[in-house]
Amino acid sequence: MLSKVLIANRGEIALRVIQACRELGVASVAVHSEADRDCLHVQMADESVCIGGPYANTSYLNVSAVIAAAEITGADGVHPGYGFLAENAHFAEIVQECGLTFIGPSADAIRLMGNKSAARQAVAAAGVPVLPGSEGPLQGRQEALRIAEQIGYPVILKASAGGGGRGMRLAHDARELRHAFDTARTEAEKAFGDASVYLEKYLERPRHIEFQVLADGHGRVVHLGERECSIQRRHQKLLEEAPSAVLTPEQRSEMGRAAVAAARAARYTSAGTVEFLLDVDGSFYFMEMNTRIQVEHAVTEMVTDVDLVREQLLIASGERMSLPPRRAVHVRGHAIEFRINAEDPDTFAPSPGTVSSVVLPGGPGVRVDTHIYSGYTIPPYYDSLIAKVIVHGHDRNEAIARGRRALEMLRIDGVSTSTRLHLRILRDSDFINGNLDTHFMDRYLHE
Amino acid sequence: MFKFDEICELIRLVGSTGVASVEIERAGSRLKIEGTAPPAAEGMTSVAQVASVPVAPMAQQPLAVAPAPTVEAAPALTQAEAEASEEEGLHFVASPIVGTFYRAPNPDADPYVKVGDFVEKGQVLCIVEAMKLMNEIESDLSGTIVKVYVENAQPVEFGERLFAIRPA
Repeated sequence: MLSKVLIANRGEIALRVIQACRELGVASVAVHSEADRDCLHVQMADESVCIGGPYANTSYLNVSAVIAAAEITGADGVHPGYGFLAENAHFAEIVQECGLTFIGPSADAIRLMGNKSAARQAVAAAGVPVLPGSEGPLQGRQEALRIAEQIGYPVILKASAGGGGRGMRLAHDARELRHAFDTARTEAEKAFGDASVYLEKYLERPRHIEFQVLADGHGRVVHLGERECSIQRRHQKLLEEAPSAVLTPEQRSEMGRAAVAAARAARYTSAGTVEFLLDVDGSFYFMEMNTRIQVEHAVTEMVTDVDLVREQLLIASGERMSLPPRRAVHVRGHAIEFRINAEDPDTFAPSPGTVSSVVLPGGPGVRVDTHIYSGYTIPPYYDSLIAKVIVHGHDRNEAIARGRRALEMLRIDGVSTSTRLHLRILRDSDFINGNLDTHFMDRYLHE
Repeated sequence: MFKFDEICELIRLVGSTGVASVEIERAGSRLKIEGTAPPAAEGMTSVAQVASVPVAPMAQQPLAVAPAPTVEAAPALTQAEAEASEEEGLHFVASPIVGTFYRAPNPDADPYVKVGDFVEKGQVLCIVEAMKLMNEIESDLSGTIVKVYVENAQPVEFGERLFAIRPA
């Protein structure tokens, strides 16, 4: 078993890893920037090291500072959390080269899945459905036009090295595609230093459904069911739930098998997520694999009773995952997660500042993962996520009712938060009826 | 992994017998102790560094509390402390990186600087080792060293005070 884990992250996910470490009797080391001296993960870890200045590129993204902190504290494992260095193959490699254990998949698996067109080719070869489109990067504009004719418009161009919506261009006809090809390449070059783009069929009203997978070093790969994440704003998820209100048991097992096949194709270990787009006709397509623990992992934990971070630590220590052998994971009830961001609920502008007081909701079926406390000052340098409110009920209606009362009883004074936006979503008849697609939030943005 | 007591015992042994060096390897950890001739001045430890130990990086830790180095340093430090109590007009050199602090280029050498020394702007004050790289830390102004905050071979954080300098 690992004896001391350095957490290369901050905020609520760093606390989440500390929780798992404590329960397993593993010592924890927090690293922090100068702006995060008062952060709760620094107070809760067994040791802490200041590794750099407020800007993440000097601290949380600074590979040599993180490694040096592991060296001076004698940590034997590094947990990257999500964001920052979590999906940086180079970092995973250096951690291993320094004789430390990276708590996550291999550098090769991160690299493969980080290259969107290589990932697409690899999972397609394993029999996972992918959106019709180019077989990897496009050679030129003529090839783009030819493929678009074959698969039909609309089509979308995406950066091979990309993510987060940059380098993406939508085209409804050949004229638009001719123009989009150059702008997508320029944007990809600027954002990722790699101009190569690929082309896919564009779905007008898809759902974003992702499957949680867990794989250990003993050849076992399982899925833990899906999360419905269609409620997004600018490709940022706001609210996630499990299970999806629309998947049939047959679809669930078919998509689950595809998720496991994708993980196997990457020789994946640790916790990971395979994202799919589900079309209105029920067909589904691989979108990408996230090679890390995710913000919304708690939704799956609530319905499966599996502690995913604990499993990550066990798997990284070379042990088998602790789920009962030869049995599918049982999904119980319904869970919803609300991401509480420090931002204006109407304009979505970030709202850093001092939290004058906090009252967190409790009671049956409510879990809150947060690093804020009364008197805590939210620094302006990082992500605006300050809390995750996760509710669990016997069914979706009970979860919605619990979500509503939990959000009504959540009090964060001193900064604006997205709580009110979530309460609006919970009153939305389309949401209540499970009528979702990735454009759900557009109505709130265009008002 | 070596116990702190064991390391102390070995250091005493090397020191008292005049043996040049002892190197022991056990369960993935390696410890090398070299005796030096006269004890180095001003807090310089007479212990050589522990060789790099990828399996058990903890082995570096005990060095932090190397014995017998501070005999001469102690009065100087108290004196410096008295001065620093004002702190007014002093300039502080903080570590620009996280790592391990070394006061000399190698274990046998004299420290780069000691209390009372006059340093020029750009002069090397110490080394901070991170990921096996020795980073020379330079003085950002000219003046007199009035305090050294960190003992040799101690871990330092980003932004931690290393030296106090009275500007010339």
